[in-house]
Amino acid sequence: MRQRMSFLAVLLMLVSLLLAACGDSPTATTVATTAAATTAAATTAAATTAAATTVAPAATTAAATTVAPTTAAPAATTVAATTAAPASTGGGTCSATVSGGPYNLKAWFSGGLGDLDVLKTMVDSFNQSQKLVKVEAVVIPAGNFDDQVKAAAAAGSLPDILYLDGPNMYNYVWNGNLKALDACLTPELKADLLPSIIKQGTYQGKMYGVGSLDSGLGLYSRKSILQKNGIRIPTGPKDAWTADEFTQALKKLQASGLKKPLDLKVNYASDGWWAYGFSPIIQSAGGDLINRQDFQSAAGVLNSEASIKSLTIFQSWFKDGLVDINEDDNAFKSGRAAISWVGFWEFPAYKKVFADDLLLLPLPNFGIGSRTGMGSWQWSISAKTPNLDAAWSFVNYTLQTEPMLAVTKADGAIPSRKSVIDKSTQFAAGGEERLYVEQLLGDTAVPRPQTPAFPTITVAFGKVIRDVMDGKDVKAALDAAVKTIDQDIKDNQGYKTVAK
Amino acid sequence: MALLAKSRSYRNRHQRDAWGFLIVGAVLLLVFLVVPFLLAVGMSFTSQRLLSPLPTRFLGTENYERTLGDPDFIQALGNNVRFALLVVPLQTGLALLLAILVNQSLPGVKLFRVIYFMPLTMAMAAAATIWKLLYVPDTGFINGVLGWLTAGAVQPNWLRDQSVALLAVMIVGIWQSTGFQMVIFLAGLQDIPVDLYEASGIDGAGKWKQFRYITLPGLRNTLIFIITVTTIFAFRLFDTVYIMTKGGPLGSTDTMLLRMFTVGFNQLQIGRGSAVAVIFFLFVLVISLAQRFWLRQEGERA
Repeated sequence: MRQRMSFLAVLLMLVSLLLAACGDSPTATTVATTAAATTAAATTAAATTAAATTVAPAATTAAATTVAPTTAAPAATTVAATTAAPASTGGGTCSATVSGGPYNLKAWFSGGLGDLDVLKTMVDSFNQSQKLVKVEAVVIPAGNFDDQVKAAAAAGSLPDILYLDGPNMYNYVWNGNLKALDACLTPELKADLLPSIIKQGTYQGKMYGVGSLDSGLGLYSRKSILQKNGIRIPTGPKDAWTADEFTQALKKLQASGLKKPLDLKVNYASDGWWAYGFSPIIQSAGGDLINRQDFQSAAGVLNSEASIKSLTIFQSWFKDGLVDINEDDNAFKSGRAAISWVGFWEFPAYKKVFADDLLLLPLPNFGIGSRTGMGSWQWSISAKTPNLDAAWSFVNYTLQTEPMLAVTKADGAIPSRKSVIDKSTQFAAGGEERLYVEQLLGDTAVPRPQTPAFPTITVAFGKVIRDVMDGKDVKAALDAAVKTIDQDIKDNQGYKTVAK
Repeated sequence: MALLAKSRSYRNRHQRDAWGFLIVGAVLLLVFLVVPFLLAVGMSFTSQRLLSPLPTRFLGTENYERTLGDPDFIQALGNNVRFALLVVPLQTGLALLLAILVNQSLPGVKLFRVIYFMPLTMAMAAAATIWKLLYVPDTGFINGVLGWLTAGAVQPNWLRDQSVALLAVMIVGIWQSTGFQMVIFLAGLQDIPVDLYEASGIDGAGKWKQFRYITLPGLRNTLIFIITVTTIFAFRLFDTVYIMTKGGPLGSTDTMLLRMFTVGFNQLQIGRGSAVAVIFFLFVLVISLAQRFWLRQEGERA
């Protein structure tokens, strides 16, 4: 009898726990977040106004010289101590000049980054350059990084500084996890950033992410093999191969003895790659992943005639046996394939093998002009960081010429500032990878849709590409994706901004 | 009287100790198993999303209706069933055969025990990656051997052909876990008294009769354990397909757990992912109970 009673008691306890968890969790979290947000806003407002009103001139110099924090910071401390700003202007201010402190900030990095060592060196040199802000770099294993950030965002415990790859950023913004950086970017810095980087970091008119790197796709080939087969060599995005021309070229190459002349990096096999690498196909035909007027539906855009037609061409490459599945990631380098459809990151490896024979060409034009993906890892600052200026002083430091050159050199990526591009041998006018810059400066580069629905779009479009490669009817595959995406947007009430 | 009081306090103390021991495990189970599961049950009826400023709404059974009405999920469930139907008997039979083989007292037999067990010591993710390379159609090892054996007639596109992809995944599954079941069978075999075999030998029973009337009945409990565990493992299929096929081609290797992961983590829909988890749990529970019931009946008849 007693046993049964205690069993019942345990059961009751569990049920009440469950009910509490289900019923209370939304209110509990909202209360917690709002409370935290208000206190955070209050503290930063107080701290930032002090810095902004008193040492505004220092901020402009900070943008120009790399080690500005060292010289400017001590001055700021004393100023801030004497004139504690009484009121804030409301809009929120931000500068790279730190007052108060010292601040110990955490920054999260994914362990999968190719330039991790350079980033860590950068953190060290930042820490040595001044005394008020100390950044601790926390490296999270690549496979877990995304999930860890999601979990931390859901639990409201993000680190001060995050180094994020685009896709989930808009979600964090929608969830109120990130700070807008508009006030932090000086007009000079903003004007110097690539337009693509600003588009990528902007959500509903405000900027939440800014990074040192930009990216792009291209076709790599060999001059000798194209010339031998009488295939025209395009000179830039404007005269890119048409889709037909591209298909014909592949067939010529196949007839010349290459069994599978096209490498599409099928071996990457991740939804991220399918979306980044192949959404330019439908965009180049006039379709898109979603209607960007209001980001409320993909209907008629993702499954438009243009999308269907262009992906049918894509499918024909597989049906005609033109694509090497590249399981050894060596199709192009070994010479098995003559054309490799991939991003900037393969340039150094390909260059090493083919030297001056290597060509970098724009992706084919499926109707309205060649298109490419863009965007890369970028800095975001947690809404809960105790001091926006402190966090920004670090981000700002990384955006200066020397650190940016170091990072982009290690990563092989395109620098995000025009002035730094001009200083880079690869990307300056006449440089071997100039094509990537041309794509980013013109209208060739298409940013990811800036919506919290992007993770769902990635999964849905990834499935389209996989299914189309495996022979599924293109229209049916696209219709299914539209259904998934539109349902997700509806489930989330249109991802409308929620007042905090 | 005094004696009685003493014995009662003795019993009480014993009971206290027992509770003390129990509570550690119970709390751990509660915190890491029972509560999360009950939370999942709760969330499966709501619009819970991993990241969302919107308040969580109660949706009733909508998540379940949508999951069960999703052709992708139904296909995944079908794949799970097909996988289990083939893998459970094959793997159990093979493990038993191997166990009997390595149970002989021959020189070098220990080496074979180690070899058969070795795949299990390898991380599944690493093994799947290597198998993926072995399965490459043009340059892979498997098609190389097949091509040599059949003069190039049999060259399946293992992971990209709908008709063979699930088979390819099954082969990896069997390769990896047969060794584990073999070891358990081996333990079971060594528990069967040798004199039973000797006595039956004197009575004139042949090898087959010994197997049928001594070995099999002697392994009854082991068999029940292995069939149940293998079935559960078969339904839990995730890492191999995640690494080798991502559920493709055209969903032919999709599984319930892969759906759960995609919906819950990639699409951030925790509510619907939880519904998949609950359906998965109920499905496995029903099958395990049915198996237990059926196997027990069988045992009583024997």
